[in-house]
Amino acid sequence: MKAAKLQLATRTLLNPAAQQWAKMPAEEMSLAGTPLSEQPSRYVRAAWAGKPVGAVRFLKVQAAHNGKDIAFRLEWADETENKDHGDGSVFPDAAGVLFPLNKDAPLESMGGPKAPVNAWYWRANLPEGEGQNLIAMGAGTVQETPKSFAQTRAHWADGRWQVVLARPLTIDGDGVQLSSKQSTKVAFAVWEGSSQERGGLKSFSKHWLDLEIA
Amino acid sequence: MAQKTQRTRKARKTQSRNGAKQQLAMVFDLNKCIGCQTCSVACKVLWTRDEGTDYQWWCTVNTQPGRGHPRDYETMGGGYREGVSQPGRRPTRQEWGGGWQFNYEEVLYGGKGQSVFLHHVGEEPQWGPNWDEDQGAGEYPNAYYFYLPRLCNHCTKPACLEACPRGAMYKRDEDGIVLRDESRCRGYQFCLEACPYKKVYFNFLRNVSQQCIMCFPRVEQNVAPSCVRQCPGRAVWFGMLDDEEGPVAKLVRKWEVALPLHPEYGTEPNVFYIPPIGPALLNDDGSFDESKPRIPTEYLEGLFGLKVRTALDTFRAEMTKTREGGKSELMDTLIAYWWKDMFKPYDRDPAEIQWK
Repeated sequence: MKAAKLQLATRTLLNPAAQQWAKMPAEEMSLAGTPLSEQPSRYVRAAWAGKPVGAVRFLKVQAAHNGKDIAFRLEWADETENKDHGDGSVFPDAAGVLFPLNKDAPLESMGGPKAPVNAWYWRANLPEGEGQNLIAMGAGTVQETPKSFAQTRAHWADGRWQVVLARPLTIDGDGVQLSSKQSTKVAFAVWEGSSQERGGLKSFSKHWLDLEIA
Repeated sequence: MAQKTQRTRKARKTQSRNGAKQQLAMVFDLNKCIGCQTCSVACKVLWTRDEGTDYQWWCTVNTQPGRGHPRDYETMGGGYREGVSQPGRRPTRQEWGGGWQFNYEEVLYGGKGQSVFLHHVGEEPQWGPNWDEDQGAGEYPNAYYFYLPRLCNHCTKPACLEACPRGAMYKRDEDGIVLRDESRCRGYQFCLEACPYKKVYFNFLRNVSQQCIMCFPRVEQNVAPSCVRQCPGRAVWFGMLDDEEGPVAKLVRKWEVALPLHPEYGTEPNVFYIPPIGPALLNDDGSFDESKPRIPTEYLEGLFGLKVRTALDTFRAEMTKTREGGKSELMDTLIAYWWKDMFKPYDRDPAEIQWK
């Protein structure tokens, strides 16, 4: 997929309803539930055996940058808007964009001990606009960095989430460093909160995608 | 709260996933518990006054028979069957209940103290800790009930710990206390699902799970946990399970009168209970039928397992012995002549300590 270079303010890129997004090509991908065998918890493997994982099966992604910030617009169908934990029986919906920090980093296990990955993470109950910057070196090792860098905006209407995650191309901290005229690998994940999805239980893009930054 | 997290980190000296080298344990005597809730409140004022903990009562005392707290927790699954993890579900906020808001401002500071009654604000409460107090079961004149204090069992096989995919929980080798590193917890709540006793709470505001920490900062200073020390009924003992001369080991291992709650859950709890012996059945003519207990033994077996019968038999035999003028180590232990002997060497006065 491509991230076009546009002369737009970051504020505009962050708006999922901005008309510029409607004109941009989109990568439409099918998602799969994460394999149970990769779950590090014996309880989770036992409790979820035979149960479906990965409620969201289809994701539309667009990407653009303005030379300073890069933004990903994610859109997917979700009949239930889970903005929080409700009465305790659900989880907030969430989405993430993942980058390898080492070219051999495996996707299914969220990286490995010597192959970290970097996620930009949005969750519906985080303070508005704030994303999390996460580093993982294998399943169950996600750690939030002290500084986030990621900005988010999200909107749910008519059974669809539209979420934008944006971040400066380069950052002074832990995370992927991007630049214009560069290609990298990227992957995506979506959590459907009313289907009990959180942590390693989610839908993901099955493999790394090539991202060309114009 | 950050300070507390730091303390948790500091406490993470050693860890183990399957049992500890030494294990702290508690024994509650259900014949002596009067349901006064002093333990619940002692815990509440010490640990759960921060944001998001208003509905959390790490120690609760409920009437049995009853639906418990959270409501019907015994039907929610978790734990192990023949060593295999069992799926569980999380209680809803309504099933926990509690944490209600009241119109304190209006009544106490709004000048309406003479015209407005104190009442809850918001949704009508449907459940809470100790909601079915003193209801019990049975028909007059053979109605019965007793009190059951419950807190985290700091299990030898903690299902919560095993369920966490992030390794955020650990069991200390030096005393078996089960703790969570809140800086690693991301609020997935698998621990809550896996705990068959439902003694893990979710902090909705901080997005972390929380539970009893067995007052480890006190224990490290040789001070018994607050629920233990504050008990006015001398109904709880505390100490290392392998301290053979201590009352805990004597009650659990030597006399085998202290039993875990729901041993069939497979987590090997380290909180034990002396089952309530209760009065004898009353006949229609008002006389006692000493051959039949008013609290059905089958009901107690449902709570504490099949060892209840031998525990009660031992208990009755030792009572009889004492009544006949004999000497009984078991009865002397249960009477607890010396308060501090109930939790030695954790008998240091917390008031003497400069707490940081």
